[in-house]
Amino acid sequence: MLEIKDLHAGVDGTEIVKGISLSVNKGEVHAIMGPNGSGKSTLAKILSGHPAYEATSGEIIFDGKNLLEMDAEERSLAGVFMGFQYPVEVPGVNNAEFLRMAHNARRVKAGEEEVDPLDFDELLSEKMKMLGMEKKYKERNLNDGFSGGEKKKNEILQMAILEPKLSLLDETDSGLDIDALRIVSEGVNKLRSENNALILITHYQRLLDYIKPDFVHVLSQGKIVKSGDKALAIELESQGYDWVTTAD
Amino acid sequence: MSETIVESTEETAFLDLHKKFVEENKSSSALSAIHESALSRFEMLGFPHSKHEMYTYVNTKKLAATTFAVSNPSAKIDLIEKHIYSGCENSCLVFVNGVLDRSLSKLKDIESSVKISSLEEKSDTDTLLESVENENDVFACLTNAFCSDVTVVEVPDKGQVAVPIQALFVSTGNTSLPEMHSPRLLWKVGKLAEVKVIEKFVGMQEGYFTNMVEDWRVAEGAGVVLTQVQSDPFGAWNFHKTRVHIKRNARFHSANASSGSVLVHNHFEVRLEEEGAEVILNGVSVLKGKEQVHNFIRIHHEAPQCISHQHFKNVINDEGRSSFDGTVIVNQGAQLTSANQLINNLMLSDDCHADNKPNLMIFADDVKCAHGATIGQIDEDQLFYLQTRGLSKKFAKELLTRSFAESIVQTIQFSEVVKELSNTLLKKLEVENV
Repeated sequence: MLEIKDLHAGVDGTEIVKGISLSVNKGEVHAIMGPNGSGKSTLAKILSGHPAYEATSGEIIFDGKNLLEMDAEERSLAGVFMGFQYPVEVPGVNNAEFLRMAHNARRVKAGEEEVDPLDFDELLSEKMKMLGMEKKYKERNLNDGFSGGEKKKNEILQMAILEPKLSLLDETDSGLDIDALRIVSEGVNKLRSENNALILITHYQRLLDYIKPDFVHVLSQGKIVKSGDKALAIELESQGYDWVTTAD
Repeated sequence: MSETIVESTEETAFLDLHKKFVEENKSSSALSAIHESALSRFEMLGFPHSKHEMYTYVNTKKLAATTFAVSNPSAKIDLIEKHIYSGCENSCLVFVNGVLDRSLSKLKDIESSVKISSLEEKSDTDTLLESVENENDVFACLTNAFCSDVTVVEVPDKGQVAVPIQALFVSTGNTSLPEMHSPRLLWKVGKLAEVKVIEKFVGMQEGYFTNMVEDWRVAEGAGVVLTQVQSDPFGAWNFHKTRVHIKRNARFHSANASSGSVLVHNHFEVRLEEEGAEVILNGVSVLKGKEQVHNFIRIHHEAPQCISHQHFKNVINDEGRSSFDGTVIVNQGAQLTSANQLINNLMLSDDCHADNKPNLMIFADDVKCAHGATIGQIDEDQLFYLQTRGLSKKFAKELLTRSFAESIVQTIQFSEVVKELSNTLLKKLEVENV
C-alpha cells in the first residue's frame, strides 16, 4: 500500500530525514519510535503534504501513485489520513458541518452523491457513540477551546468519518491522561480492518500497550536504525533509546 | 481696514442649496428652529480637513465637492416588497428619499403599541435642539439643516412591541444630479418597554447621499435591539449617525452589517447616563472593489456599573478600505465600569487597507476595560489542516473567511436578516472572489 524508498527530506534547507525506506501493507500496524529530534514529525509532515516541508530525494508510492506529487487535499481524497500532534483550532467553523463537508468531499471524489445534514447526523451520532463522545462535540466549533484530550478524540472522530486506507497518527498519545488514552486507543482499534493500515508515531511505548503493532521501527538521526516486533518496543522502554542509537 | 472672510466653495454650495431648500419647503416653526440652529453649527464647524479627528481616515473631499440636489420625497417607488422582511409586513415604516411615506408604510401590527408622529411635542423639539447645539459631526449638522421632517417613534412605558419594526430607507437615486436625503428620526422608548428594530438601506440606482441621524432615548429598564443593514449600490454615499442615551438598567443591543459603497460612515455616540445601563455594538463589513466602510464610535460611561461591549469585524479584498476609530470614555465616578472593545480585520489582498484606532480614556480607578485590534491574513495552519481533510484550497479559504464574518452575523437576532445576509453580504466571499 505504501512504499517509502530512500527518502531524504527537510525544512528550510536543513535535511532532517536522511534516507528512510519503509513498506506498509494492508492490515498492518507500524509503530515509528525514536528520541526527540530523530525526524519522526518531519516524516509525518512530509507524508501529509505540509507545504513547508520538502522531499529532496527518494520516493513515496501510495497505491501505485507518487504521493509527493499530490497536494494535501489530493492525498486526503486518495485515502491518507493524518492525525495531528497539535490539531489546529478553527473558530467559527462548526464541527459537525465541517465533518460533513469533509465526508462529502470524499464522496464526490468517489462519484457518489453528497449526504444531506439529516442523514449525516445519523452517521455522525453512530461514530460518536462508538468513540464514547458526548453530543456537545457537534455543536462546538472545530477544536475551538477543546482540551488536549478532546482535540485528539476529535481527530479520531475525523478518522472514523473519513475511513482512510492509511492513517498516520502523530504523537496521538501525548497530552492524554490514562483514561483518555484508553478511550482513544479503543476507538482506533475499532477502526482497524484488513483493508486499512496504520502508522503510529510515538515517543513512548505506553500507546503500544493499547494498540498492538505488527512492526516497530526505531528512528534516529533521520534513519531507521532498528526494526522488529512488539518486543522491541518493550525493550526500548526498559533500556532507553541509547541502547539502540549507540549500538552501532 | 475691514477683513473679508472668504468661505470655501464647498460650504458655500451647501449654504446656497439650503436657501433653495427653505424656499421650496414650508416648514413648521419647530422644524425651522432646528434648521436654523443646525445651519449655524454647520457654518461654525465647516467640512473636515484631513487632520480632523472624526475624519482622519475618511476622505470626504469628493463628497463635499459634489453638487447635490435636495431630495424628492414624492418620487414613485415600486417593488419595495422584496426589501421588507418576513414578519415585518405590517410593521414597516417606509422612507422614500429620506422622508416617511405614510401610504407605503404598513403599520397595522404596531398601531396600538407604538405612536408615530412628526415633531409635535415641544419637549421633542427641545431634545433635538439640544442635540443639534452639541453636535460635533458636520455631516449630522447637514442632516439637521436639510431634514424636511422628523419622524418620532414612541413606545410608551411598559410597552411591549410584539413584532419587529422595520424602517426601510429607499432612495431613487439620480446619476446625472445626485440627491441628498436627510432622514431624521427620534426613537423614544419608555420605562420598561421593549422594542426590536431593523433598519435597511437600499437604492434603486446610484447617485444619492443618504445622510441620516437618529436619536434614541432609552428610559429606565427598557430594552432595544437594533439591526442596521446597509446595502446601497456602489455609487451611493451613506453617512449614518446613531446617538443613544441610556438610562438606569436599560439595554441597547445593536448589530450593523455594511456591504460598503463608495463611502459609508457609521457614527455611534452612546451615553450610558445612569447606573446599570448596558450597550452592545457589533459590526461586520465585507468589502471588495473600491468599497469603503468607516466606523467612528464614542461611548461615554457617565455612571457607575455600566457595561459596554464592541466587536467589529471587517473582511477586506481588492482595493477595499475600512477604518475603526473607537474611544471609550470612562468619566470620573463611573466606578465598576466594564468595557470591551475588539476589532478584527481580515485582509485578503495586497492593495486593501485598514486603519484601527481603539482607544480608552479612563478617569475612574475601579474599572475593568479591555481593547484590542487585529489585522491579519488567512491562517496558513488552519488552511493546511482543512486541506488535509480533503477540502480544496479555494473552498477552505472561503470557509475560513466566511466563518470569520459569520460570527458577527450570527449575533443578529432576526433569522430573516441572517438568512438574507448569508445570500448577500457573505456571498461576496464566494470562491471566485477569494
